[in-house]
Amino acid sequence: MLTAAAACRSGQSSASKTAALTNIVVRSGGSLIASIRTEPGSFNRYVHRDAGADLVSILTHAKLVRINKATQLVEPWLADSWSASEDGRAFTLKLHPGVTFSDGQPLTADDVVFSFQAVYALGPEGPLGDALQVEGRRLEVAAVDASTVSIVFPVTYAPGVRILDNLPIYPKHRLEAALRAGKIHDAWGLSTPPSELAGLGPFVLADYVPGQRLVFDRNPRYFRKAADGTALPYLDRMTVEITPDPNTELLRLEAGQIDAMTIEVAPESYAAVKRAADAGKVKLADLGVGYNADTLWFNLKPGAFAGDPRAAWLQRDELRKAISLAVDRKIFADTVFLGAAEPVYGPETPANKQWYWGRPTAHDPAAARQLLASIGLTDRNGDGMLEDAGGRPARFTLLTQKGRPNLERSVAVIRDELKKIGVTVDVVTLEGLALIERFARTRQYEAVYFTVSKTDTDPAVNLDFWASYGGAHIWNFAQKTPATEWERRIDELIVRQIAAPDPAERKRLYDQIQEIFADHLPMVYFAAPRIFVASSVRMINVTPALLRPQLLWAPEAVAVVH
Amino acid sequence: MSRYIVRRLAFAALLVIVVSSASMILARLAPGDYVDLSLPPEASAEAKAQARARLGLDRSIGAQYLEWLGAAIRLDFGRSFLYDRPVRELIPGRAANTAVLALTALAVATLVGLPLGVVSGSRRGPLSGTIRFISLVLLSMPPLLTSLFLVFVAARTGWFPIGGIGESVLDRLHHLVVPAMAIGLPLAAVLERLQAQAMGEVIGAPFVLAALARGVTRSRVVWHSALKPSLRHVAAVYGLIVGSLLSGSFVVEVITAWPGLGSLMLDALRARDIYLVTGCAGTGALFLACGTLFSDLALGVVDPRASERVQEAA
Repeated sequence: MLTAAAACRSGQSSASKTAALTNIVVRSGGSLIASIRTEPGSFNRYVHRDAGADLVSILTHAKLVRINKATQLVEPWLADSWSASEDGRAFTLKLHPGVTFSDGQPLTADDVVFSFQAVYALGPEGPLGDALQVEGRRLEVAAVDASTVSIVFPVTYAPGVRILDNLPIYPKHRLEAALRAGKIHDAWGLSTPPSELAGLGPFVLADYVPGQRLVFDRNPRYFRKAADGTALPYLDRMTVEITPDPNTELLRLEAGQIDAMTIEVAPESYAAVKRAADAGKVKLADLGVGYNADTLWFNLKPGAFAGDPRAAWLQRDELRKAISLAVDRKIFADTVFLGAAEPVYGPETPANKQWYWGRPTAHDPAAARQLLASIGLTDRNGDGMLEDAGGRPARFTLLTQKGRPNLERSVAVIRDELKKIGVTVDVVTLEGLALIERFARTRQYEAVYFTVSKTDTDPAVNLDFWASYGGAHIWNFAQKTPATEWERRIDELIVRQIAAPDPAERKRLYDQIQEIFADHLPMVYFAAPRIFVASSVRMINVTPALLRPQLLWAPEAVAVVH
Repeated sequence: MSRYIVRRLAFAALLVIVVSSASMILARLAPGDYVDLSLPPEASAEAKAQARARLGLDRSIGAQYLEWLGAAIRLDFGRSFLYDRPVRELIPGRAANTAVLALTALAVATLVGLPLGVVSGSRRGPLSGTIRFISLVLLSMPPLLTSLFLVFVAARTGWFPIGGIGESVLDRLHHLVVPAMAIGLPLAAVLERLQAQAMGEVIGAPFVLAALARGVTRSRVVWHSALKPSLRHVAAVYGLIVGSLLSGSFVVEVITAWPGLGSLMLDALRARDIYLVTGCAGTGALFLACGTLFSDLALGVVDPRASERVQEAA
């Protein structure tokens, strides 16, 4: 049996270290104002996935284990310890003693079982259902006794309890009636009075004014304490103000009217924030290159271009490889991210140190032209642009989202770089929903440049991206049988990768998967931005992380200078 | 007169119904829906179908529209997907915020623009030239820039809060300054230009020249005799300005995070929250219709000829 020790590194201890290094004494009390761009879609994280709902969940709920967003390690949280069976399928978790919900009711194993039931009851509509399944099958959860939970995975699952970071534990006594009535979807919507909500997190929702703010007060029953025994959270109150405009948000930060943003500083705002930081008005931190990069992909659904003469080359690997060779990633990083980015060549960026595998592609327009010539695209009329065998121009339409400067700048660079090798790109910017409809619903598109974010750094958690049957296998999702041999091979490898108990074996398998991906390049990556975060000078004891919300993922530890 | 007002109110009701209906149909016809936004792009077709059925988005536009219309007669305007609340509960608070902002901006515009228009229209010289120049600058700046500029000034000086609405009455007044100026100053420039032009015309009228010939002082002639007839032009557009202001200023409300009807409508449009879009558009139309009525009545007060036309129409 494998047993995880309870004394893992915690967010608090590292945060305390940070405070000690800066010679600032962390004291309880005070309040902080953060801002978000849009308000949550619901207070119920089981039914809604957006930045607002996520923040509410982080502030007001707790999970069995927590992935430390700064270290990516699993930390004991509501579960103090756990043990695994020999085959790695069954886990037994012991709950932290004496934990109570914010309404005073004790946490028991029944609440854990109930939480799984509620998520699964929502079926495919619930955003957490997929995240709590392995290979499309649910986990079996049972209460062994009041403080012990048994979780059995359908197959051996190497990341193990890491998956539990997806599930905030909800109070059975508050929501059981809704579950029984089949109304869990309607429970804890935005119209629910704050007094009816109860959680295990560091804060409780005290007030919500639509379109304006959410106010969270300290949860006096929160179960965690700082290393020195101080009751957490440190803050008495956290107000989250809704500020839709990014410029206003930054100006408010500079003016000291808010303490923290819940997202990173945009590249175009970096210079202004740097000036403010130099003037001592804000704190600015460079967290390094991010985990995610925007990407270009073609519609690889078989038959998507039936009847179109360009079908002969639009879905060919050579086209995508030529694009990868033709785009100068240095120019791309300088133009799109104003230099604050690093070249990337696949879905993993160098930030994901544990899983990154990279095969750099040199900028080589001549090689790109050769590849295009191999699929029949050459300059047949001497105008410098390429044509196919029928004399039709090498031309495709690239869709992206309107109103997102990074994406709009990116497609402009891609268009200009491809023009140099004789390929014409017609850029079409669409409103966000219209774009999603094109590639996710109607699937009537040629190519898209967009953001496809991973939900975790562990590839096993991103099975829906890698597996051909997955919903996030974005170039040709939800396939009944793999459309290509290389996708079939990735399907095989990812299943083995998920089940392999040895981390070195998992890395080897994942390297193979990334190599196959690089050989066929279903998605072309160019650069990943560096992540900068800004906060007020009075906000302390923060351990910034690359993933959002970078400054507030461990809200219990955050404090302010008194 | 009362018949006229009743007729105009009936027209307002018709306008609200037409605008609301058109908004609802257009919001349904636009690509994407609330389910596309609330579920991740990779969500299964089954999950999306389930969500659409729950929200009633699986029905035809016609069926959905008729059901909404039937409910709207009972003053039930549907439930916002985004806020999970009845639209009827959401609109009044936001409309009130917009009304406070609009009326404050209108007061600023009127108190600043009209007197300056009278001054610049009734005399020549460096003062009127300066007023005209400032007005032209304000007129040529789009609301986006004006808002950003004022927000920037507020951030740099720290004189006024940026964003939000505040809690106490004093706090609210403090928060009101930046958005009210952002809307009010360009509007003051519009009123100044209109009033200056009108005053320029009236100042050359025979009755003004006669008064001056009788020895009445110029300032008395301008502020007592010429002012009222010159207000006709401004009064004619005043209602439209009131109506459009009350419909919500998208840009200013978003940039200054003022929780009014404009920002609510924008959120609703982005999320394809069709019932909320419909409610906001209907309220905006109602405000516009009331503004136009107010304009006609105001015009009647300052211009007896217009009043006669109103009587004839009644």
